[in-house]
Amino acid sequence: MSDRAIAYNEDIVKKFVVASMFWGVVAFLVGVVLAAQLTWPALNLGLPFTNFGRLRPVHTSAAIFAFGGCALFGTSFHIVQRTCRARLFGGEALANFIFWGYQFFIVMAALSYVMGFSQGQEYAEPEWHLDLFLTLIWVLYAVVFIGTVMLREEPHIYVANWFFMAFILTVAVLHLCNNIAMPVSLYTAKSYNIAAGVQNAMIQWWYGHNAVGFFLTAGFLGMMYYFIPKAADRPVYSYRISIVHFWSLVFMYIWAGPHHLHWTALPDWTQTLGMAFSIMLWMPSWGGMINGIMTLSGAWDKLRTDPGLRFSVTAVGFYGMATFEGPVMSIRAVNALSHYTDWGIGHVHSGALGWVAFITFGAFYYLVPVLWKRERLYSTRLVSWHYWIATLGIVFYIAAMWVAGIMQGLMWRAYDNHGFLQYAFVESVAAVHPYYVIRLLGGLLFLSGMLIMVYNLIQTVRDPATARRGEAGGDLAMAKA
Amino acid sequence: MGIATGDVFVGVMTAVLGLIGLILASGAMDDGIYVFGLSLTGFAAVFVAGLIRSHYDRREKLRAEGWRHV
Repeated sequence: MSDRAIAYNEDIVKKFVVASMFWGVVAFLVGVVLAAQLTWPALNLGLPFTNFGRLRPVHTSAAIFAFGGCALFGTSFHIVQRTCRARLFGGEALANFIFWGYQFFIVMAALSYVMGFSQGQEYAEPEWHLDLFLTLIWVLYAVVFIGTVMLREEPHIYVANWFFMAFILTVAVLHLCNNIAMPVSLYTAKSYNIAAGVQNAMIQWWYGHNAVGFFLTAGFLGMMYYFIPKAADRPVYSYRISIVHFWSLVFMYIWAGPHHLHWTALPDWTQTLGMAFSIMLWMPSWGGMINGIMTLSGAWDKLRTDPGLRFSVTAVGFYGMATFEGPVMSIRAVNALSHYTDWGIGHVHSGALGWVAFITFGAFYYLVPVLWKRERLYSTRLVSWHYWIATLGIVFYIAAMWVAGIMQGLMWRAYDNHGFLQYAFVESVAAVHPYYVIRLLGGLLFLSGMLIMVYNLIQTVRDPATARRGEAGGDLAMAKA
Repeated sequence: MGIATGDVFVGVMTAVLGLIGLILASGAMDDGIYVFGLSLTGFAAVFVAGLIRSHYDRREKLRAEGWRHV
């Protein structure tokens, strides 16, 4: 397939890639600060705006919406143009508005958190005025993406675009439903959600779990279905499985939210429904994982020479692991032990760091030389260093949280011979301290890896040694060792 | 060279957002809306200025390439 006739809008993709890397550093840095605060609470400094409660949504929003969101915007705009053989719909001005508007939203949201404004709903902390602004950006994003699909010169809509469209449309519905709120006044930032009590909790976790399912899974699966075949230079192992994967995943994920509310005032049948669909999710998740890994059939040797691809494949492995662990934790009996403990934090980070961040790193290591028209990466040795440091960081993080979480759960439910609780809560806090130190070390390692990546990619763009020699240069040749 | 329809749409939309920002900031009853309103106006002003600049940059580039009536 020739790309000669179409001038793709690559400028907007470059901007989102740069922004994603910047926000990645911010997100991981704030995460390290928070891990240190949890280990040594004096690091809250006694100031309102450095308090854990205000910095925590800065970390989660920066990781999910800033780092992950910019990666999704950038890669979806790249993929939809290439697979549809069409320039981005709406022109440069609209694409630039989406980019700068989204950055404006991120900065305003972070500022509002440290100023103490929050809806108090996890992953939906921004108040009503920011929600409205994000709605505008999101609608324009949908218009540009779907408009480009409609302009396509290719008759077929590639599966990655289906995943991106599911991500865009579902996140729009989730965002609108979970943020129906009445402001105290048009001139105040404070608002109250239209739903209260258990209804509010149910809508919140329908939103929260599907933010994971459609923002952090479907969108990044779109990335997987494009970049792994490109980097491996192999077709998708089974295109039929990818279609089954898509429809089963989008049908089942939307029901799984109630598993976040086991043992609460939510009706039992709703909890059971959430649990049942969570367990059923094993099949599509693992089908997709196997499809991603098997795409390397006949190209496994590339893992030795292309550490960027190693990131992508390891990400798919972490996807499989996290989507196995999630359904296990959704079983009510298991949840009785795991809920409210650090096991949940470990589970989230095996998905966020192992799946979301790694699949993004793999995509960027492929994409940066392509976008900036470089012969190769500056250093594959640095990519290898990044890979091993980051992997070690994740292992430290999630292993520490598993141990800490299971220990917390067991301590909280332990009774003595007289029927009294065996441990005071503070004893469980003291018991997990060593594991919090290990978690901090894991976070530091992951941040260090990210900094190595930033340096490597900046050098890839700037170093004259990576320049293409003539037009014949491939998109990504071997880097110097 | 005319102005692209997309540029006009985005420019007008951003200008309206800037005005909304000013209205919010003028009546703000807390710091959250005040900071958001002023920032929105600043964002809109800078973005529209960027749109205007890129329009003239494109026109000058075309003139430099020998196109007339631009």
